[in-house]
Amino acid sequence: METHAAVNDAMRRIRSRKERDADPEEPIRVWIDRDRTPDGVGDSLTIVFNTDGCRWARAGGCTMCGYVGESNPGAVDTESLLNQLEHALEHERTERDDECPIVKMYTSGTFFDRREIPPEARHRILDSFRDRRVVVESLPDFVETDVVEDAVDRVRDLDVAIGLETADDHVRRECVNKYFDYQEFVRAAEVADDAGAGVKSYLLMKPPFVTEKEALEDAVYSVRESAEHSHTVSVNPCNIQRYTLVDRQHYRDGYRPPWLWTVVEMLKRTADEDAIVVSHPVAPGGDRGAHNCGECDDDVYDAIQAYNETGDASILEEPDCSCREQWMELLERERSWHAPLA
Amino acid sequence: MTQYFEVVDRDGPARLGELRITPPVTTPATVDDVLEDYGSLWTDEHATPEEDDVGGVAVLPHRAMPSGTPEEILEAMQETHGDVDLDVATAAVTSVDAPEASGHDMHVLTGLREGDSRRVVEAALDCRRSLAPDSALYLPGVAAPANVATLAYLGFDCFDSDYAAVHGRGGSYMTTDGEVAVEKLDELPCCCTVCRDSSPDDLSPEEVAEHNVFALEAELSRVRSKIADGRLRDYVEGQCRSERWQVEVLRLLDEEETYLERRTPVARTTEMDCNVSESMDRIEVQRFAERVIERYTAPRSDACVLLPCSAGKPYSLSRSHSEFREAIAGRAHEVIVTSPLAVVPRGLENVYPAAHYDVPVTGRWTPTEQEFVEDVLTRYLELNRYEDVYVHLPEDYRPFVESACSSADVEPSFTCRDDEHPRDDEALERLRTSLDGLQTSGRQRERRWYARAVADHQFGEDSWDSLDDLRIQGQMPRIRVMQDDRQLAALTEYGSLALTLEGVEAFEPPDVEIEPFVPEGSVLAPGVVDADDSIRVADEVLFEGEECRGVGRAEMGGREMRDSSRGVAVSVRHLDDSV
Repeated sequence: METHAAVNDAMRRIRSRKERDADPEEPIRVWIDRDRTPDGVGDSLTIVFNTDGCRWARAGGCTMCGYVGESNPGAVDTESLLNQLEHALEHERTERDDECPIVKMYTSGTFFDRREIPPEARHRILDSFRDRRVVVESLPDFVETDVVEDAVDRVRDLDVAIGLETADDHVRRECVNKYFDYQEFVRAAEVADDAGAGVKSYLLMKPPFVTEKEALEDAVYSVRESAEHSHTVSVNPCNIQRYTLVDRQHYRDGYRPPWLWTVVEMLKRTADEDAIVVSHPVAPGGDRGAHNCGECDDDVYDAIQAYNETGDASILEEPDCSCREQWMELLERERSWHAPLA
Repeated sequence: MTQYFEVVDRDGPARLGELRITPPVTTPATVDDVLEDYGSLWTDEHATPEEDDVGGVAVLPHRAMPSGTPEEILEAMQETHGDVDLDVATAAVTSVDAPEASGHDMHVLTGLREGDSRRVVEAALDCRRSLAPDSALYLPGVAAPANVATLAYLGFDCFDSDYAAVHGRGGSYMTTDGEVAVEKLDELPCCCTVCRDSSPDDLSPEEVAEHNVFALEAELSRVRSKIADGRLRDYVEGQCRSERWQVEVLRLLDEEETYLERRTPVARTTEMDCNVSESMDRIEVQRFAERVIERYTAPRSDACVLLPCSAGKPYSLSRSHSEFREAIAGRAHEVIVTSPLAVVPRGLENVYPAAHYDVPVTGRWTPTEQEFVEDVLTRYLELNRYEDVYVHLPEDYRPFVESACSSADVEPSFTCRDDEHPRDDEALERLRTSLDGLQTSGRQRERRWYARAVADHQFGEDSWDSLDDLRIQGQMPRIRVMQDDRQLAALTEYGSLALTLEGVEAFEPPDVEIEPFVPEGSVLAPGVVDADDSIRVADEVLFEGEECRGVGRAEMGGREMRDSSRGVAVSVRHLDDSV
């Protein structure tokens, strides 16, 4: 699928202003999260490895993604990656007495890309989590039978997480500027499934250039579609990362992250799906993350978090605020020529 | 080529337009109800509509560019449909940061947020420069009761009720003086059908939104009538005070002299209030002063009397000026010193806006007023050397008049003492006796000077030089300029000269080249082949084509005549189709 040269040119220019200065001996971030999986809710050791980053982002990349700006300027060797792993394990030991049942590993790129993570490092990392559920992130084109089967053999349960962003090829190409199409995702999901791995889909709510209403409809449609191919769908409301196109637009009042009401509405409308549907807004309530009016953000965010853990849709009915009226009027009236209207 | 929008009246940069759909819409207006959105290309493929499907204005499939979109994307990816020519009203979406011309009736402008004065002014200028003059400019998502007059004054034609409705439903109550959270009000400052018999506590979110839209529509109605009356500037000078950024807009816009000057009429019957400091910066004021300096020559050099203005206009008809004139008795040139026009020689007192302005008079001059009047008076006295200058002005004029005289190397005589009013008997008597021995000008000569002053002001310096054989007929100010027994021109109620075909030869007004046809009543823009850049609204113009020549009054500027495909370009006054 061809993306637009103009968007790639713009993205490269925006990114070129960031000087990358990551330390390859430490992971970019480590924290303990809480996730609902097919085995139930549990704590998850979450690691963002520092690699040389997403291959696609170098060519331009997605309009909302600033992770490449945090990655290492050059390749990171096996020894350094293992030092990062040790750092993460040390963090887990200091935070708690037992091991998290779940481990999620991101690279701001693709865990299966051997240029980012050499096979030896990949094996040693997976081997250190053999009794846990392990989630690794990958672009669909790196999901190949031999690599996934090898990984499945090394851990208790393996989930392959794919950043589909949206099930709509047009929106993915035009607004997200992501190069693969939906069929490529389906192929990868089937390869993972055949190899004995689970599939987790990551979706993006409200890429640039769409209205609040379009964002809601696109997210609901995408959850329904991707739920056919995954046991878990995680919808990420777009947040403003630096050195991205949405950051440029947001700075000039040309972009607003989604309303938390839109997240709530999407979760309500997809509550009947067989897949686990969750959403973890980054920077909730803040100007750069999904937010409402400022008064109700904490309550609405708490409801979303409670739903993430329980799947109980009645929780989503609880919060209310006068700004919900404004949000409803916005859905009616906002057009792409005057978005964001509020 | 625009078919479904026509500018029918102008008031500076603001326009009264007609969106020719069923039913027609007179702009400035909200248009959200008449737009039909044929889809965002960001989210899907969309075909251009079929003509039969369209009822209102078809917004063709678009790729809207929000504020902050990188330039690579703006330049490469906008969809302007320049090649689509449908026989229905159409609109193209284009960014204010890279407005792309297309032949559509309306342009939907993206990328502009309310409140950034500099960007708002730049956007108005860029769009009006780049897009066809007879295309409606729709500024979406920002109109509110408090700001829509200023936005219309800038030159935007179409708005929507979306901002007012969405923020209203969020609890923001809007009036022409701004917006406030409805719960902060003790009572409702409005008597619309929603607010009448209600209270802040009783209004539902939908009702606040409804009130806001009423308030916006009422303000737009006011804006339309102000434009029709030629008084929008006067109104905006007051209304812009509701929000700081709007005052900035007015001040920044006044620095864009070319944009404003092209669009400001050279004559009209409309009154002009000069109530605030920004009134000094009006094109009418600046242009008048400039023409006094550049085009006017005093008719006599022996003596002049500097006189104060009068509240009644033209000055001659006021009681004070008839007393002054009686004392002067034609023995000196009369020159009025006033704010904000600075210097008005008697011969120009009927010229727009000398007979039309009004200004608050307190006897206290602001530093800006003093500085401007002093500067123009200095230059006037340098260019027009009188043997004697008599200052018959009250005390408050004294500081800056003295320094103007001193800068111009003039030694004035003061005929009004500091403790006197110029109308006091002693002062008038002193004026009378000071002029003893000077020659009386005579009535015919005075009328001739008068006509010459107007002609120079209108057609340029020395418009009159070769016209020694001209005579003036009629009573002031209803005078006619005659050559032998042929009338060349008559002074109109606008304070300008209306030419006959014979007058065209004598005064050489700017010209408009038209297609080979004989106009009836008016020359329409599509019939214009070429037009002089210097033409302004209300200028006398010569129009010529293979089948006729004639003279008339410009209804639009020269550029607009060339670039428009609809609207009246010239109102015909006299026509000769025997050529």
